[in-house]
Amino acid sequence: MMAKRLINNVKLGVFVIAGLLLLILALYMIGRDSNLFGKNFELKVQFENVQGLTAGNNIRYAGIQVGTVKKVKIVSDTLIEVTMLIDEKMKAFIHQTDLVSISTDGLMGNKLLNITPGKDGSPLVKEGDILQVKKVASTEDMMETLNRTNNNIAVISDDIKRTVQRINNSEALWKILEEPTLPAYLKESMAHIREAAGKAADMANDLSAIVNDVKNGKGSLGAILTDTSIAKNLDQAVVKIRSVGDHANELAEELSAMTQGVKNDINNGKGTVNALLKDSLMAMKLQSSLTNIEQATAAFNENMEALKHNFLLRGYFRKLEKQKKKDEAAASVKK
Amino acid sequence: MALPKTWQSFLDETGDMSRFTGRFFAQGFKPRYEFSEFIHQCFIIGFKSLPLIGLTGFIMGLVLTMQLRPSLIDYGVESQLPAMVGIAIVREIGPVVTALIFAGKIGSSIGAELGSMKVTEQIDAMEVSGTNPFKYLVVTRVLAATVMLPVLVILSDAISLYGSYLGVNIRATTSFQLFFKQVFDALSFSDVWPAVIKTFFFGFAVGMVGCYKGYNSRKGTEGVGRSANSAVVVSSLLVFIIDLVVVQVTDLLGIN
Repeated sequence: MMAKRLINNVKLGVFVIAGLLLLILALYMIGRDSNLFGKNFELKVQFENVQGLTAGNNIRYAGIQVGTVKKVKIVSDTLIEVTMLIDEKMKAFIHQTDLVSISTDGLMGNKLLNITPGKDGSPLVKEGDILQVKKVASTEDMMETLNRTNNNIAVISDDIKRTVQRINNSEALWKILEEPTLPAYLKESMAHIREAAGKAADMANDLSAIVNDVKNGKGSLGAILTDTSIAKNLDQAVVKIRSVGDHANELAEELSAMTQGVKNDINNGKGTVNALLKDSLMAMKLQSSLTNIEQATAAFNENMEALKHNFLLRGYFRKLEKQKKKDEAAASVKK
Repeated sequence: MALPKTWQSFLDETGDMSRFTGRFFAQGFKPRYEFSEFIHQCFIIGFKSLPLIGLTGFIMGLVLTMQLRPSLIDYGVESQLPAMVGIAIVREIGPVVTALIFAGKIGSSIGAELGSMKVTEQIDAMEVSGTNPFKYLVVTRVLAATVMLPVLVILSDAISLYGSYLGVNIRATTSFQLFFKQVFDALSFSDVWPAVIKTFFFGFAVGMVGCYKGYNSRKGTEGVGRSANSAVVVSSLLVFIIDLVVVQVTDLLGIN
């Protein structure tokens, strides 16, 4: 009986202790979540509007749960001071320039504070420091911007509407667009343009080749432009031309002296020219010679007529006469 | 001043029960204490109720999870299932369901036991033999019920949450760690303390009503059955009334 009682008592003890342990565990878990155990330090931040933030809301540093809101206190009508309770370990990470913003857990969840890392290299926070607020676009600001955007879009869409209407009302444009042969022509034109461009390119290539040749002294132009010996030759030629000029001068002087001599000879009755011009006997001889030549040619004419009538040559002359008559008859018929 | 008979008997019983409760407080904290009988009653009332309470708790957790899931899917917050079930179980379902089962099992057994002792005049015999029957029978049982119910509720909550974890995993996959974390993230001290404290009142009410009904049993064996029955009915009703009072008080104190 006593042994059984003892066993029962042990069972009861286990039962009660299990219950109490569970209760303590649950309380510890809850307490750990709200930072009741372990070391913490306080930071402060001042907002104009806390948007429903209350004590116990979570605080996150770069997305990690680091503490809870301890107190929300109204300082003045535009200033609300929020005291944050943050894990002591985070002292090594939170800087004085870090920024705090209020956001929402999920779409409709509880409010929470976000601490975003600020500038590197600024000093770490101390107990009771006041952090700066990060300006976050509130819903109202967003709505305002959206409103402006909407107005702009309305104006733009009006303009677009007018433009489209004008395009629609333009007959010429539609004619162009509806012309079925246009694409083919356009295609052809494009082909031609392409061809022309190809040729132009070829030409340009040739030109460049020529220019290169000229540069390198090939061809006549190149020779002219680049050959130094030609210049020398030209120089010599010019010199020769000048000397020729000089000789011509001398020649002219000699000629002038000669004509002067001839004139003097004529006037003084010397030389052949003077004899021709002044000897009357010679003139009579010349006249008789000419008369002789005249008689000789007349005799030749008579000889030729005699030949015509010769039987050997008579056939030919008759044929000529017949042909002449035929031509005259044809001409009269035409008339 | 003539009250209707039902009213008269109701008020009569209420007054009688109040006096009975006063007697408990007057005698319960004076020596000599029936310590070993108290431990024995704790074993019977607490430990022996564990299988029943554990089973109902497990089923409640599982069923609640499966019933809540479709509604949460409708709102697109299926991931909040552990948090929701956790709060429901710890704040309300665990304490109340456990207290009702406890009232059914312990209230009826105390009522029947004391009732049969009363009608067989064992209580009168005890008084003659020099033992204080009130101390030995009533005080030990009421104290045992008061202390054991909170322990039962805590264990039942744990088993319910395990059932809920299985319930979540029927349709989805959640690691135990994540489930555990989600439940305790959602819970706060203001969820746990009022729930634990009210279970003391539930236990006290069940023990008190059971003892009163049994101790004042009349009319032979028929009366035993009636006192067992009315012990269960009245104590179950009292559990709900106390729940109502507690929620008003915690609301007034602002610990919600």
